Amino acid sequence: MSSATPRIRVACEVNGRPVEAKVEPRAFLIDLLRDEFGLTSVKRSCDVQVCGACAVLLDGRPVSSCTLPAFEARGHSVLTAEGLADEPLGEALARAFAQHAAFQCGFCTPGLLLTAKALLDSAPAPTAEQVSECLEGNLCRCTGYKKIVEAVLAAAGRSAV
Amino acid sequence: MRPFTLHEPTSAAEASALLLERGEAARLYAGGTELLLAMKGGFLPCDHLVNVKTIPGMDAVALDGGALVIGAAATHTAIESAPIVRERFPLVAQVERRVANARVRNVGTLAGNLCFAEPHSDPAALLLLYDAEAVVEGASGERRISIADLQIAPYETALEPGEVMTAVRISPLPGGARAAYLKFGIHHRPTIGVGAMLRVAEGVVVEARLSLGSVPPVARRLPEAEALLLGERAEHLNAESSAVAEVADAAAAQADAVDDLHGSTEYKRHLVGVFVRRAIAQAAA
Amino acid sequence: MSARAFSTVGQAVPRVDAEEKTSGRAKYTTDLALPGMAYAKLALSPLPHARIVSIDASRARALPGVYAVLTAAELTGMETHYGSDRKDRPIVAMGKVRFEGEPIAAVAAVDLAKAEEAVELIEAEYEELPPVIGLEAALAGESEPVQETNVCHRYEVAWGDAAGAMAACDHVFEDTFTFPMVYHYAMEPHAVIADYQADRLSVWSSAQHPFLVRAELARVFRKRLDQVRVVVPYVGGGYGSKSYTKIEPLAAALSRLAGRPVRLALSVEEAMKTVRRHATRATIRTGVQADGTFVARECRVELDTGAYTDNGVRVTERAADRLPGPYRFEHLRSEAVGLFTNTTPAGSFRSIGGPQGAWACESHTDNIAHALGIDPLELRLKNLVRPGEELLRGRRRLEADLAAPLAEVARGFGWHDYEPVSTAPHLKRGVGMACAVANAGASPISGAFVRLHADGSATVHVGTTEIGQGSRSALAQIAAEELRLPLSSVRVIASDTDAVPYDRSTGASRSTTLAGLAVHDAAADARAQMEDAAARYFETFAEQVALAEGSASFEGESISYGALIGQVFGGAGGEIVGRSAITPDHPSGKLAEDPVFWEVSMGFAEVEVDTETGRVRVLRYTSVADPGKAINPAQVEGQDEGAAMQGVGHTLFEEMRYEEGQLMNPNLIDYRVPTFGDLPDEFHTVLLERGDGPGPYGAKGVGEGGIVAVAPAVANALFNATGARIRDLPLTPERVWRALRETNDA
Ligand SMILES: Cc1cc2nc3c(=O)[nH]c(=O)nc-3n(C[C@H](O)[C@H](O)[C@H](O)COP(=O)(O)OP(=O)(O)OC[C@H]3O[C@@H](n4cnc5c(N)ncnc54)[C@H](O)[C@@H]3O)c2cc1C
Repeated sequence: MSSATPRIRVACEVNGRPVEAKVEPRAFLIDLLRDEFGLTSVKRSCDVQVCGACAVLLDGRPVSSCTLPAFEARGHSVLTAEGLADEPLGEALARAFAQHAAFQCGFCTPGLLLTAKALLDSAPAPTAEQVSECLEGNLCRCTGYKKIVEAVLAAAGRSAV
Repeated sequence: MRPFTLHEPTSAAEASALLLERGEAARLYAGGTELLLAMKGGFLPCDHLVNVKTIPGMDAVALDGGALVIGAAATHTAIESAPIVRERFPLVAQVERRVANARVRNVGTLAGNLCFAEPHSDPAALLLLYDAEAVVEGASGERRISIADLQIAPYETALEPGEVMTAVRISPLPGGARAAYLKFGIHHRPTIGVGAMLRVAEGVVVEARLSLGSVPPVARRLPEAEALLLGERAEHLNAESSAVAEVADAAAAQADAVDDLHGSTEYKRHLVGVFVRRAIAQAAA
Repeated sequence: MSARAFSTVGQAVPRVDAEEKTSGRAKYTTDLALPGMAYAKLALSPLPHARIVSIDASRARALPGVYAVLTAAELTGMETHYGSDRKDRPIVAMGKVRFEGEPIAAVAAVDLAKAEEAVELIEAEYEELPPVIGLEAALAGESEPVQETNVCHRYEVAWGDAAGAMAACDHVFEDTFTFPMVYHYAMEPHAVIADYQADRLSVWSSAQHPFLVRAELARVFRKRLDQVRVVVPYVGGGYGSKSYTKIEPLAAALSRLAGRPVRLALSVEEAMKTVRRHATRATIRTGVQADGTFVARECRVELDTGAYTDNGVRVTERAADRLPGPYRFEHLRSEAVGLFTNTTPAGSFRSIGGPQGAWACESHTDNIAHALGIDPLELRLKNLVRPGEELLRGRRRLEADLAAPLAEVARGFGWHDYEPVSTAPHLKRGVGMACAVANAGASPISGAFVRLHADGSATVHVGTTEIGQGSRSALAQIAAEELRLPLSSVRVIASDTDAVPYDRSTGASRSTTLAGLAVHDAAADARAQMEDAAARYFETFAEQVALAEGSASFEGESISYGALIGQVFGGAGGEIVGRSAITPDHPSGKLAEDPVFWEVSMGFAEVEVDTETGRVRVLRYTSVADPGKAINPAQVEGQDEGAAMQGVGHTLFEEMRYEEGQLMNPNLIDYRVPTFGDLPDEFHTVLLERGDGPGPYGAKGVGEGGIVAVAPAVANALFNATGARIRDLPLTPERVWRALRETNDA
């Protein structure tokens, strides 16, 4: 019964570049990004859409790549932390995370940076509550969260109250 | 996870035919936030995924007459951010904005939430406040199922083999109606969700609906408690009022709670009383 | 040490790994791949306690794409068991399974999907045994024990005559408290790549203690230390979960069998079934005089250490050491017993035995204060050990003053004039505090090399692993400071047992203090060599030359380090190597006593409880950390805040729940850890910097202290708000609601 399933051609944009791959239907987006495209910033942690370590932006919106089939990327654009680093907002966030000590082990950081980018794209000057609310679905076990909120506010040009 | 074949029908009829053809081995797939988790965990064997998102128009969120029609492929995010929902069905937008986390909302659908029939669901409880129906299509054509009859047991719906939910239709609340929905819990899914709808005419409650989710195996109305609200003056319905306390007690007594990781039956019954009281007070305020 | 001003030490400079970690380029174990690497999947026991009748892996082995299936039968020509204190853990279950989730076999296959498919084909037959679940069952010992006996370890500290002295006290108070099993949730679950070859075993692992792993692997596979290499890439969080040896022997045994490199990456569920924190039950009796003076204490803690010893011996001992708290007693008896049960083995977790002890001790302290009508702060100030006194007889005296900062932070917190604000009738607020001090279990064995290159840049070789705590940054700051180099010229390489000198472990808050001292001394050694070289170059005495910013100067003339090294070696190449070895005999004399330092914990909480639902929210939390000297203050705060937040987890939500030996919440949906939403409105860390630590510049360890005080501070605040005293964690809404109901009924 197994492995007879036809592969699916996935043509999409990843970090601004058109790419193509053939995937098994059961392949998840995280596997395509990590194994096929070498984008290892996409981290597997909880594997149940709770932690946000595998978050990537699909057409600008965060999704959990651990549970989203790879074929869902067809015709869409995917942004990972590697691609974010090349964008002005990505640089601002990276700088703020470094300056505010907003990461420690760094395993949650790619997903947090991307989620923060999605927030700042839609709300360029958020309040601390908005930041917390938006990032509520991302876990970090090292920092205690406070410095992450401060960093996102700083990247938006606002200081924490 | 075991391999599966993806099917991408372009009509509900085609999807229905695929389901009938493959029987138990096939399942509808919308956002997959439940289905793929279950498949990954090995709880739901499935060899054929039938994608509802390739059916044209399924992601629509639109008004039909006064009713809100939410296509089966509309995500929680699409629903909560749609201007017509925010303006005309603000409570639906509010609740949808607080389902799960942003990533699940960006992918998961209302239809998927309802059809999975997981007992800890917000929309399942919320929609009982409205006249709402599931629109389903199967081999013998289209039919509508009242939202109250859609879920029949945990993880079980009234859909017949081969039936596809195409939309949820939600009628506006009647004139003079006010509604509130409260949820509580420390886990990712709610421990309890309580809705209250009060229609008030000349200061008096003429119609009341109370809904309870996550506590019983299937979200349900609380008719005995509702009856006690009729004829009450809305201005008296605050959290301290004895009338409300009586309703809350009736609701708690009626709640068929189950023990699980969220808490004991006894505690959940207690919460029913607390949140029925708070929801009524909020709706009446 | 001269009175020279610091250039980088003491500053909150960005971490040296910032660039890699904010660009997605930082590599963790699972981001690496070796040519021909196979993917491994474990077959786990579904039963908590059973004899293995048979394991049939023939169908799995026959599956195309499967390279090897490891069962106990394949563990030949090698040692079969491992463990840090006792070699009681089989690499895969042998004869018996002792907890649900214990590996019984492992598959190596061409990809993960194939390995998973093969695992499904492994058939095991068991003869079920009654599981020993919980402390009572382990103590009762009515069914077949988990190991030869259910007692893992007993330990006692005592002086005076505690039992006898109680009789003479004005009051005797007694309380019992329980602490649940909790899971570290390092976001990166354990991961290993093992490449076994006849004369060489190479392992890339998310390990905290690479040198201990190396020794264990060498023993298991009967190799010399030089034949085993353990490399630790970036680690996605540890908190103790990756201490000692975990899945490395299994991955290596599978690689040996498969004849190719093997990657074994656990899932969260498997990580939860690899190691956890000890659940405890602690009883404390205290004899007190009418004025609140503590005279005698008797306490006993029972620890659930799970199916295997892991670090159970040390945790049991530390639990007894830490349970009596930071107070003086004329008479003390503190005993601990670690018990085996058929659950996930328990090991190290951020402050071993610390949170469990403080939870009991500090809740009990507030009960005494309440009963005697004494302010909880005053009662503590009265009884805290003073600087220069022995907390545990025969051990290092306490260098730090606890009372002054406790009183001062209390003032800042508004302790004395606290008035609860009420925003609604069902919402009640209150404040609480807790204080503890722990004998750091840090062994003073570390070494470092510092290589000063021909262009004036430097590489630091040191065995500490960067698990997120910022060790590479702090160690780079220390090296830059001592070498008189800009921080950007210094690189600290990843831990690799082939390339860095021995370091005992990364844990027990020891890295900045002990590896830091090693780096400090090695860098100072290199600097001394540079001073000599400069003296020769300038034809003067070493004391006359000044080193700064990568140059040596004398009487207005200067030469860059690079040029100076060129002078030394007579060309463009060569390098200066500084080295050090830290032992208890360190010339500073500060490492001779046990413990090397005391780690302080203090916490102040304001909570709000919804009396109708029992939901507790932490509104304000102030934590106190004592780094002696903060090499990087932002990182110290980060360690403390992270630890405190982890403490909020076991205080309010976290608990591994077992029913009949089955873990009921083996995933992050059902096992709730703190989120952004749980961040207190006000959340502060106060740093004490009194230069009194044994580490470089007076530094001492932090990172564990922050987790210790949270639960008792919050529970004491809840007691202050409502009068309800809760004796079991976590403080779930239901538990709080029940306690409030009982309090109101009483
Ligand atoms: C971490 C997490 C947190 C969550 N928190 C909440 C919460 O707070 N409140 C809450 O209410 N919910 C919560 N959920 C549930 C969430 O709302 C659902 O996962 C989501 O809405 C399901 O939609 P989907 O499109 O992904 O469904 P899918 O996974 O695609 O499908 C779910 C089920 O519905 C069936 N199905 C799908 N579409 C149709 C159709 N058109 N006709 C018939 N059957 C169909 C599928 O066959 C499957 O059995 C949470 C989920 C997760 C993972």
